[in-house]
Amino acid sequence: MSAVGTLKSWEAMMLALLVAIIAFNSVGSPYFLSVGNFVNLFQLSIEKSIVALTMALVIIGGEIDLSVASVMGLAACVMAWTFHAGVPMPAAILAALGAGILAGLNNAFWIARVGLPSLAVTLAGLIGYRGVARILLEDRAIGGFPDWFNTIGQQALIGPLTAAIAIFFVLFIFFAIVLHGSAFGRLVYVVGSNAQAARYSGVRVGLVKAALFVGSAFVAALAGILYAARLGSVRGDMAEGFELDVITAVLLGGVSIFGGKGNLVGVGLALLVILNLRNGMGLADITGNTQNYVIGGLLILSVLIPNMWQELTNKWRGRET
Amino acid sequence: MNWLKRRVRPEQIRELSLLVLILAAIVFFGSFIDNYYSFRTFNRIASSVAIITVVAVGQTLVVLTRNIDLSVGSIVGFTAYFVGTLIASHNGINPILAVAIAIALGAALGVVNGVIVAWGKVPAVVVTLGTLAIYRGVLVDLSGAKTVTTDSLPQWLIDLPLVNVAPIGSLDIRALFMLALVIVVAFQIGTTYLSFARRFYAIGSNPEAAQLIGLPIKSVVFLAFVICGALSGLAGFMLLARFGNITVEAGRGLELSVVAAVVVGGVNVFGGSGTVTGAMLGAVMIGTLEQSLFRLGISEFWLDAVLGLLILLAVASDAVILQRLRQLWGGAELKLLAKETDSVSSEQSASPP
Amino acid sequence: MTRFLMGAAALAVLAALPQCALAQDAMATRGKAVSMVLLPKFLGILPFDQAHKGAEEAAKELQNPTPLQFLGPTPQNSVAGQIEIVTNATTQGVKAIMISNNSGDQIVPAAKAAQAKGIKVVTWDSPIPSSEGEDVFVAQVDFSEIGKVMADMTLDLAGPGGGKFAILSASPDAANQNAWIAAMKTALKDPKYAKLDLVDTVYGNDESEKSYTQAQALVDKYPDLKVIMSPTSVGIVAGAKALQDEKLCDKVKISGLGLPSEMLAYTKNGCAPEFALWSFIDLGYLAYYTTYLLAADALKAEEGAKFKAGRMGEYTITKDPTRAKGLRILMGPFTIYNKDNVEAAAK
Repeated sequence: MSAVGTLKSWEAMMLALLVAIIAFNSVGSPYFLSVGNFVNLFQLSIEKSIVALTMALVIIGGEIDLSVASVMGLAACVMAWTFHAGVPMPAAILAALGAGILAGLNNAFWIARVGLPSLAVTLAGLIGYRGVARILLEDRAIGGFPDWFNTIGQQALIGPLTAAIAIFFVLFIFFAIVLHGSAFGRLVYVVGSNAQAARYSGVRVGLVKAALFVGSAFVAALAGILYAARLGSVRGDMAEGFELDVITAVLLGGVSIFGGKGNLVGVGLALLVILNLRNGMGLADITGNTQNYVIGGLLILSVLIPNMWQELTNKWRGRET
Repeated sequence: MNWLKRRVRPEQIRELSLLVLILAAIVFFGSFIDNYYSFRTFNRIASSVAIITVVAVGQTLVVLTRNIDLSVGSIVGFTAYFVGTLIASHNGINPILAVAIAIALGAALGVVNGVIVAWGKVPAVVVTLGTLAIYRGVLVDLSGAKTVTTDSLPQWLIDLPLVNVAPIGSLDIRALFMLALVIVVAFQIGTTYLSFARRFYAIGSNPEAAQLIGLPIKSVVFLAFVICGALSGLAGFMLLARFGNITVEAGRGLELSVVAAVVVGGVNVFGGSGTVTGAMLGAVMIGTLEQSLFRLGISEFWLDAVLGLLILLAVASDAVILQRLRQLWGGAELKLLAKETDSVSSEQSASPP
Repeated sequence: MTRFLMGAAALAVLAALPQCALAQDAMATRGKAVSMVLLPKFLGILPFDQAHKGAEEAAKELQNPTPLQFLGPTPQNSVAGQIEIVTNATTQGVKAIMISNNSGDQIVPAAKAAQAKGIKVVTWDSPIPSSEGEDVFVAQVDFSEIGKVMADMTLDLAGPGGGKFAILSASPDAANQNAWIAAMKTALKDPKYAKLDLVDTVYGNDESEKSYTQAQALVDKYPDLKVIMSPTSVGIVAGAKALQDEKLCDKVKISGLGLPSEMLAYTKNGCAPEFALWSFIDLGYLAYYTTYLLAADALKAEEGAKFKAGRMGEYTITKDPTRAKGLRILMGPFTIYNKDNVEAAAK
């Protein structure tokens, strides 16, 4: 089966799964099919969804960024801290985005320039950036942001959509174009499938990787700010542990952990699958713990079943010939 | 010197460089903290790294084969909780049997991982990210919010972490640390001298070649996960003995500490190189930092930021030292080695961004 | 004369009437179908399970035909999980949500959205700090009282000579832990406690392992430490084990808030001679009664409203003196446990 065929079948599988889940939820809960619920379903995990987009690019590029949740927390804390120190909100937001870019540059330096494995660098980042966030806020919670800021996070802005949801769709289209329609996107695939070969053919591998990590941290910082706007208050533990959920969504989207394979449509469908599944289970009064292992099981089965299917059909074909 | 260069490869000195870094850290802390050079400090670090080390040995085997096991924290919690519950209700249980059950339970969870990775051909990250959630989820659902408490456990288990197996002067070598040491030594010898165990390296450094010469890749990968599960089960028992109070939260997040130890210990995350001794030294390095930073008198809130920075510096200086050693060893060999451990060296030869 | 008597009687009845009307007897409204959600900080630890038990007891007494939903997030996802559960409950149109809030003011937007749909939001165990989005808080005990009790126990254990002590808390973000620590610091200003010296506050994140190592680190860092005060049931028992393993129980004592069933051994062997707690079963029971009455429109969340909560007797809604705004119902009291009463309570 060609690579394209595999990808197409992956998306078809996700789409079928999504349709099944939506059908099941619609029958199972009278509250599922409503505009309000669909907005909530997006809104409740919108920051993770946003970060999943750049995580997909990083993983397709053959690397991993474990520090995204800590960068989200760091950005939110930098914003709250500078705002609390009397800086106007727009400047505080810029400072938070700046902190995100700095974190990204730091990751990029060690990975792309020094050549350390991204797993090690971003694991240190996961601990370290969270630590900086803690230094800033200690045991405080900072809220009382301007109304316009809370409105961005909490109120419908475009039709029934909140700003964060709108930003997600804009970023989705943007990154889809970057990944699938630009020269840079092709480089990401080339670097992800074989960095060595890419280097020999003159690709500036370091530069591509640096761009991925700075982009990842910048988008994580943006997501952290949106998260703060949604909750209206910031603490040192903002977004703690989100990285595993984000990576789960990307892998469920058919992106290969070894790099070079996957696309944003698959990731988008996987996000919809997870969000609808969680929402349906939530409306059926199933606790978060059970939701987690249903999604964990789904993650494994989504790869296992097609593999076994292929194995079986191969055997069958083998017998025919 | 030339003789040395012929006999020893830079990778083998890697552990030595980490040891130097650890000693440097100890000297640094010792000059700022009163009573730092004491048996108590030794015991603190030794006890804190024992459990991580046992899991890190298993993780090293998995990582050597180009895989990763993220479910170890859940396996540790699972076995600690269920073996704890079992012992709490059957206080008369034979200690050896209890340990055997813990190891078997861990191994069984490892079998699940191993089968799906090796024969299901599902990437290890995907499998173990899933079982991380599944094992923990089953634990929470089955537990009914009960906690294993110290007073329900038999005395031998409560006393176990304090047992002093090798009193050297007034220095205690406690049972759990000794157990971790024995495991490290056994696996170090095994992976160095047993031809079967060399397969972990062969498969990780070049899977295609391993397949060509007919190595049973699937069985070896499977075995790595089973051993990792079994050692995590043993670590679960150690966790039960050391902390006594086991909630459904036990061992949560341990996977990150273990991966950190393995990475700091110089085990290549792309497989094929690294040693269990290195993983232990990685655990000791992180344990030393964690245990000492607080006593340095810096605020609780600064700990993680400093720890993150130091882990990064440890990994970076390790890479730099290795690079220097390779240059020292000469250019001809460098190319050969660069091929073997593709990531570190090849990235460095890349044109700067 | 008779007319006068009758008039007096009528007056007496009139005088008595408002009281009857205010002290709403829950039994009068029982049997109504009220869908309610009990939301703990997270699932998997004993205190919240006990609160659930108490709430179920109240549900049975009030003959609510709609079963109580006991829904909780996972510990690693407590904040986002609580917000998700509140939002989903709002979508489902339940009548009331009872929250042990672990999200500080971050839950406010979700709680306000619930209120906007007519859902009663009652907090118990841990309130919403700004009290926005909350109808009333069912407080286990007075928070400033917790501060005083913690200071008293510390003084008691450190002895009249006083000495150094440290606090082993849950996470730096646990709003009620922070409120209690603040209350204790206020209490310590009393000259009575002048000889007590709070040297450090550390966090065990409500994990046994982290709490254990934090307690060890404290005794290493402060060799002359007298007392560790741990206002969390996970921290206190892990800390007690650490002191016992260090064979330091004759020098350093641990105290705070703990569950008798978990603390029994340490109270008997002198590592934790005394500690305090309230009944989580009663707290769940009272929270359910309060919320049921509010949701059945038999009680208004306003200052001075009185009601009778089954076996626990009469309660009044008052202003919460420990927060800037907000209403509370004060359950109380504390029980101080020591070697004389811990065994009976542990059963």
